[in-house]
Amino acid sequence: MPANNLLLSSSPHVFTGVTPRKLMLSVIIALMPVTIYGVVLFGVPALLVVLTSVFTAVVSEAAFRAATKQAIHIDDLSAVVTGMLVALISPPSLPLWMIAIGSFAAIVLAKEFFGGLGANPFNPALIGRAIMLMSFPAAMTTWHVPFKGIIDATTGATPLNIVKMGGTIADVGKGFVDNGLAAASQYSSTLWTLFVGNRGGCIGESSILLILVGFIFLLALRVISFITPLAMVGTAFVASWILGMDPVFGVLSGGVLFGAVFMATDYSSSPLTPLGKALFGAGAGLVTAIIRKFGGYPEGVTYAILMMNALSPFMDNLRVKKYGFVPAAKPVAKGAAK
Amino acid sequence: MSTKTFKGGTHPPERKERSAPNVIEVLRTVKQVVIPVNQHFGAPIQPLVKVGDLVKRGQRIADAEGRMTVPLHASITGTVKKIEPRMQANNLDGLAIIIEQAAEDETDFMVVLDPYACTKEAALARVHDAGIIGVGGAGFPAHVKFAPPPNKPVDYVIANAAECEPYLTIDERVMEETPEDVIDGMAIVMHIVGAKRGVVGLEDNKAHLVAGLERAIASRANGAAITVQLLTTKYPQGGEKMLITAITGKEVPSGGLPMDVGCVVSNVGTLKSVSEAFRQGKPMIDTGLTVTGGACETPKNLVVPVGTLAQDLFPDVVRYDESRLRRIVMGGPMMGPAVPSLQIPIQKNTSGLLLMDSAEAKVYAEGTCIRCGRCMRACSCRLSPALLNGALIANDLDLAEKIGVLDCIECGTCSFVCPAHIQLVQRFRVGKQLVRAKKQKEAQRAGK
Repeated sequence: MPANNLLLSSSPHVFTGVTPRKLMLSVIIALMPVTIYGVVLFGVPALLVVLTSVFTAVVSEAAFRAATKQAIHIDDLSAVVTGMLVALISPPSLPLWMIAIGSFAAIVLAKEFFGGLGANPFNPALIGRAIMLMSFPAAMTTWHVPFKGIIDATTGATPLNIVKMGGTIADVGKGFVDNGLAAASQYSSTLWTLFVGNRGGCIGESSILLILVGFIFLLALRVISFITPLAMVGTAFVASWILGMDPVFGVLSGGVLFGAVFMATDYSSSPLTPLGKALFGAGAGLVTAIIRKFGGYPEGVTYAILMMNALSPFMDNLRVKKYGFVPAAKPVAKGAAK
Repeated sequence: MSTKTFKGGTHPPERKERSAPNVIEVLRTVKQVVIPVNQHFGAPIQPLVKVGDLVKRGQRIADAEGRMTVPLHASITGTVKKIEPRMQANNLDGLAIIIEQAAEDETDFMVVLDPYACTKEAALARVHDAGIIGVGGAGFPAHVKFAPPPNKPVDYVIANAAECEPYLTIDERVMEETPEDVIDGMAIVMHIVGAKRGVVGLEDNKAHLVAGLERAIASRANGAAITVQLLTTKYPQGGEKMLITAITGKEVPSGGLPMDVGCVVSNVGTLKSVSEAFRQGKPMIDTGLTVTGGACETPKNLVVPVGTLAQDLFPDVVRYDESRLRRIVMGGPMMGPAVPSLQIPIQKNTSGLLLMDSAEAKVYAEGTCIRCGRCMRACSCRLSPALLNGALIANDLDLAEKIGVLDCIECGTCSFVCPAHIQLVQRFRVGKQLVRAKKQKEAQRAGK
């Protein structure tokens, strides 16, 4: 006779073995190429920014949950992901106390105040960045030329900055050549430099190539859906073109691709349904282009995604038709039945 | 041959390799049986025998008037010892007739009937009299399924040979060893319902059965146009709705039945029973099942009398390691209920007995939804499980109904794929009851 150590539970009795921790770990792995490349470009200061951000995120989450007497689950690695993301969308020269504040804001203000993992309405990393951008406008817009070190190197504008200030793509190309980042200054060579990512900007956003590597990795593991990134980049491309900006340059420079792959796909602040994801991505891409064209900032990805975050719960109403869907019978008009 | 399938679903580990090679062992009789009286979906029936009666294998022992009923038969020859409520596989007590084996071994079958020579009414009566229910699912009376109303012509009879539940191999063995019976039963059903096409829906992990099935079609189909269709090995491919969609491309309308899209779907075991009911006059008194699992030392495919207690299979027929046994499941691991002991009778629609060890039988605390969307992709009915879960937690039954909780087939795919181990299908089962109760209340109020 079996002893009474038998388990009773409702079916199913088998599981995939995928856990939130494994999902977060795959995001961390997907972020590694751009992180490492950011350190290659900007040196030790970039590494310190990343480490400070991750450390602050993990400690803030644990401290907040301890203070509010909730179970601590830093082992699910979600705070590590948030910390990495905050750092990767910050300039490499950012003072460490500033990134610490940004990371703290991301975890506590944007995430834990709303209930923690899975419950935050806005993307925590972008809230962290938005708060830093408003609090430390100068430090958050100080850019550096790659491979020149940061402490005593010349500061340089990002490609989007140059164009925003009235420059042309040719000026961007000339800048690349002057700084030894590209061999020639013609259009195709400039785009190739942007694609590879040898340019000034945030730590993790520069290399389109490595962002795509992370994207393909996440798609292969089915961690994220391709719908949101595709809709966002596609719409940004088309909208830039309509608004008279160079669409290829627009997609390759700035943070639209990083935002599309790693920010717009944030689980809790983006819609769950396929149609919702498409609309969310399209909206974010459109707002990005509009801000770039008409806004005061050269870059618009942060606010574009945050705006769409606010609409995300409504987009979840765009559900796919369920299996065997039968449209509700229309009420028969009076007399029509006869 | 191209394989067909449906959208969504998942691929749980199959774990069929331990029992799949083993030839079916037939147990003709056991020392006692506990036969639950109501194993079918429909109106309840009453015992026809009393304590002390001697009954023969095949004798009718419970019945009732009414269309949604099937009679019940003694599965062994013996003496009725008790008629009392006993715990069943659904973890509820239900009236059962307990028969103790007698020395004599007589059978009381019906006369053999040629399905092609008798009227359709007589053929349907035979299906009813044999107590045949659908053994792949809820136990729907077969004679009701085989008699669709005249305004719903049936194009397809589909044999559900997917066997998409992990571990289970009994249907595979039946098709390997006696494909003629399955094809014969299928041809009979096609004849009764007037269907022109018959399709055996087989998952492609059992592609080696195609040749045998096609030989059986050549010899036993009686001219009926039966084909074998390979399907992608994917859970829940054997769900009635998914099977119909994979094979015909049509979707069963919400709240409707397969007959609404011109289909009749029957499990392999049901079709074999149909064949036996005509060719041997044998009622549905035996059950084929797979006994396996990590704690099972001798995985087997068995045919046992209906009502055999799981307990009585051990240790003579099957051996298991008691120290490693952590969970007992009646059926497959995706949909089968876990039971608290082995004192549970094997019913007509029991397809497996899983003895899971601690490596297989894990229990997880429910986490919080991280909105990863895995359930959304996997749901075989496209029901947005994560949103449905939110609606039910918020007790918003209107929204739950709108999202489609009543369309949930309870396949468990959502809970299987959920990284946070959220009790999705479990909550939907409760949600269905709540929504139905609410609708009933509203209907009553509207009636006043």
